[in-house]
Amino acid sequence: MTVKVFHAELGTAIATGLLGLAGVFGALELGRGWTESGPEAGYFPFYVGLILLGASLWNLIAAFLKHREAAGIEAEEPFLDRDRARRLGIFIAALLAFVIVTLTMGIYVGSILYITWSAWRQGGYRLPVALGVGAGFALSLYLIFEAIFKIPLLKGPIEPLLGIY
Amino acid sequence: MTKTKIGLLAATALTLAAPALAEFAPSRPVEFVVASGAGGGTDNFARTIQAVLTRDEIVERPIVVLNKGGGSGAEAFLYARQNKGDPHKLIFGTNNVYLLPHVAKLAYTTEDLQPVAALALDEFLVWVKADSPYENVMDLVNAAKEAPGTIPFGGSQSKDTDETLVALIEQTTGADFKYVPFNGGGEVGVQLAGGHVAANVNNPNENAGQWQAGAIRPLCVFAPQRMAESEPISGDMGWHDIPTCTEQGLEIESYQMPRTVWLPAGTDPEVLAYYEAALQKVSESQDWKDYLTKTSQSASFLTGEELAKFIETSEANAVKVFEAEGWTAQ
Amino acid sequence: MANFDLLMHGFGIAITPMHLMLMVGGVLMGLIVGVLPGLGAPNGVSLLIPLTFALDPTSAIILLSSMYWGALFGGSTTSILFNIPGEPSSVATTFDGYPMARSGQSTRALTLAFMSAGFGALLGVIVITLLAGWASQFALKFGAPEYFAVYFLAFAAFIGMGSAAPMKTMVSLAAGLLLASVGMDSVTGSIRLTFGFEDLLGGISFLVVVIGLFGIGELLSTVQEGLRFRGVASKIDLRDVLKTIAELPRYWATYIRSGLIGIWMGITPGGPTAASFMSYGIARSSSRKGAAFGTGRPEGIVAPETADHSAGSCAMLPMLALGVPSSATAAVMMGGLMIWGLTPGPMLFATQPDFVWGLIASMYVSNLIGVVLVLATVPMFAALLRIPFTIIGPMIVAICFVGAYTVSNATFDLWVVLVFGLVGYLFSRLDYPLAPLVLAMVLGHKAENAFHQSMVLSDGSLSIFFANPLVSSIMVLGIALLVLPKLVAFGSRFRRQVPVE
Repeated sequence: MTVKVFHAELGTAIATGLLGLAGVFGALELGRGWTESGPEAGYFPFYVGLILLGASLWNLIAAFLKHREAAGIEAEEPFLDRDRARRLGIFIAALLAFVIVTLTMGIYVGSILYITWSAWRQGGYRLPVALGVGAGFALSLYLIFEAIFKIPLLKGPIEPLLGIY
Repeated sequence: MTKTKIGLLAATALTLAAPALAEFAPSRPVEFVVASGAGGGTDNFARTIQAVLTRDEIVERPIVVLNKGGGSGAEAFLYARQNKGDPHKLIFGTNNVYLLPHVAKLAYTTEDLQPVAALALDEFLVWVKADSPYENVMDLVNAAKEAPGTIPFGGSQSKDTDETLVALIEQTTGADFKYVPFNGGGEVGVQLAGGHVAANVNNPNENAGQWQAGAIRPLCVFAPQRMAESEPISGDMGWHDIPTCTEQGLEIESYQMPRTVWLPAGTDPEVLAYYEAALQKVSESQDWKDYLTKTSQSASFLTGEELAKFIETSEANAVKVFEAEGWTAQ
Repeated sequence: MANFDLLMHGFGIAITPMHLMLMVGGVLMGLIVGVLPGLGAPNGVSLLIPLTFALDPTSAIILLSSMYWGALFGGSTTSILFNIPGEPSSVATTFDGYPMARSGQSTRALTLAFMSAGFGALLGVIVITLLAGWASQFALKFGAPEYFAVYFLAFAAFIGMGSAAPMKTMVSLAAGLLLASVGMDSVTGSIRLTFGFEDLLGGISFLVVVIGLFGIGELLSTVQEGLRFRGVASKIDLRDVLKTIAELPRYWATYIRSGLIGIWMGITPGGPTAASFMSYGIARSSSRKGAAFGTGRPEGIVAPETADHSAGSCAMLPMLALGVPSSATAAVMMGGLMIWGLTPGPMLFATQPDFVWGLIASMYVSNLIGVVLVLATVPMFAALLRIPFTIIGPMIVAICFVGAYTVSNATFDLWVVLVFGLVGYLFSRLDYPLAPLVLAMVLGHKAENAFHQSMVLSDGSLSIFFANPLVSSIMVLGIALLVLPKLVAFGSRFRRQVPVE
């Protein structure tokens, strides 16, 4: 499966346009007028939202025109070929898993699992070595943030059992 | 804890037939959640208490300070609601805890927090530029009556303590100022010294530096009696030499901002008792007295009934102003 | 030369074994918080405040300010090596620093950055030493309209000449402005664009967005090309450091200009972040090789770093002399000042000469210590790039998320990082410029506030922006920077059409 630049342009333009639309609607609730003491709270968000919507539409149309021009002449530049898409897909999936594990189990468990997995499965290190790297990283996080700077990091259900709050 | 120990404890408890008050002591680090950004007045308040509690080993667990100043402090109070019943979190604020829900649509109410103590009262004064024509507060008020809506009055934030006080002056006297909100007391102080606004209602320590330099001067203080004696600040004038506003004929007897400490709602009464006692010790320490003098705040340690009554009056007075100004959120 | 005597007196106070130790310790701790994204100088300094109760105020401020300088130095390191700005004010350093490092010259890039930073700091301290009284009077002249004019100028200087498609620049700018307006608006007191989500009440943190856009976004771009860093540094050599130092005098014009911009922004409310962006923008538009900016031009590193540090050190002046902090870190230090019982204000220089001049003298010394320490760490940091990507990559990811979490202890911010990581990747692949979005998030809301305050003061009349010579000249300068490049471009096109005789 390959994604073309055209598709990526379309997706981005639609997303930024939606953000603009959200701004416009959010601003309408606040009042977008100009009173004697200057603009109301929604004045700037409203017009900035409109500008964002307009610019996104422009980019959308520009993408279509470019697509039409390119069609028939030559094969369009791919945004992601299969290889890259696979690599990127795995990385993003791992990121997502890391965030979810971090939210449920805390940042220490999250980063140990994530770093160990990456070193083991992607880096080709033996599991004990990978686990050592992950645990060492978590330990240095603990030392720098909690021990030296007294900043609590996100913890899950496991840490209190070990007496760490 | 071993089984025997638990057994022993239980036995002791039984034999002593101790009143239901099982002692509470924190079993993990205590979080101080501050309803302002780092460096703000509330932040200094919390960090001073943190320093005393830690140094004098009143609280034996480590204390960590978290700043949650978003939404004028609402972030911290929402955090309290999300952590209902957690005895290891104290929330530090001012009167914004109970006033914010009146002016903004927020997902918490004052019932989500349990007041623990008020430790200090910050005073409000009317300040003008040193070379301004106003010699007392009524001059300023009368000028605003003659030319309604033209005299710029600076303050920190919108619909917050400063604007509420300016609105109260307007409602009491019928004057009409042009209120300009800035981002903090320090900024308003400089706007006044630079002559960009005509007056402000800053707390003493926000303006002390400019007063010392003779760039601005105070007109009156919104308190039932004059402030405590102090070393002379500017020329031979000290805090005690500033007249109260009622002395000058402005009938607002008292307008003060409490520095308050709260727990999330739903904790056990022992927890409340524990922190009340700890804060009481803080309020009696020399460090605390130094902090009050250095920041020119008035000492006032309130808990329990007294505190509840204070909050009730303070809230009712403010809401009256909000209603008259049409600020109340539906 | 009364100030000179006072400064010498200050050196007498600052140079004691105890104070030198505090400086080294402070700078080292600052380097750590500066290198870690999210955990910035403001956090670091506020954590040290309770510790300082045991010190006398002069020692305390020396410790805190040394930490600040260390953090400013450290912030540039990760900007250059990983495209992750460790501090908000080092975002502009990524634009040319990272491309230069990627082309195998990481030692050169880091050396350029640190030397420029040190030079900028020196310029700033000299100004404080000589012009303290004058500068604080100048700062008093800035009311709301002048604030707005300064922000407008910062936008104009940076946006005026960009190479990206205009409508893509517009999308980036508008998206940034919109994101900046989420949360409580302090002028109207209303809550905006939160759509009922409590997590949005405090606004969308600029720092968290930057960590996502640059840190995660860059990692995604790296990963699509293969699991290794692009163009890793070849070898680290002390001779590279010396060679780079030797080429510095060539950029004297950039140094002076950036230093002046930094000094101005440090004294007035712009702050280091605005200074670095503005200085980068102006360096780009005044360079003959402006189009090559963004590909690793040395001036593109010199300009933001010099301005960032001169602004950082000059920001101490309004804090001490007026009680107005022009950076987040200065705000925290001012809190400390009050707790120590010192009243910031014009009289502080007269009533507490030991404190003030001890601090100023320490700024010379600790910046020197900073440059030496940070140069000594260059080989160490550059060696990080040789760790296999499958190990260091996930560690960077984890540090990004940890950093984002520590900004305001909110789990919601983890999602913000993830989303903006994807946005950063998409934007850079599709040639949307990221800088306007960042600039808009930093200055957008401040500019809107200043505009709004001006409108309240003038009863809604725009003429207030041309009401006095100061505000008019800043506005005119801003408009000129916005319009002139277009006119020049138009003019040169016109000239080309005229047949050569």
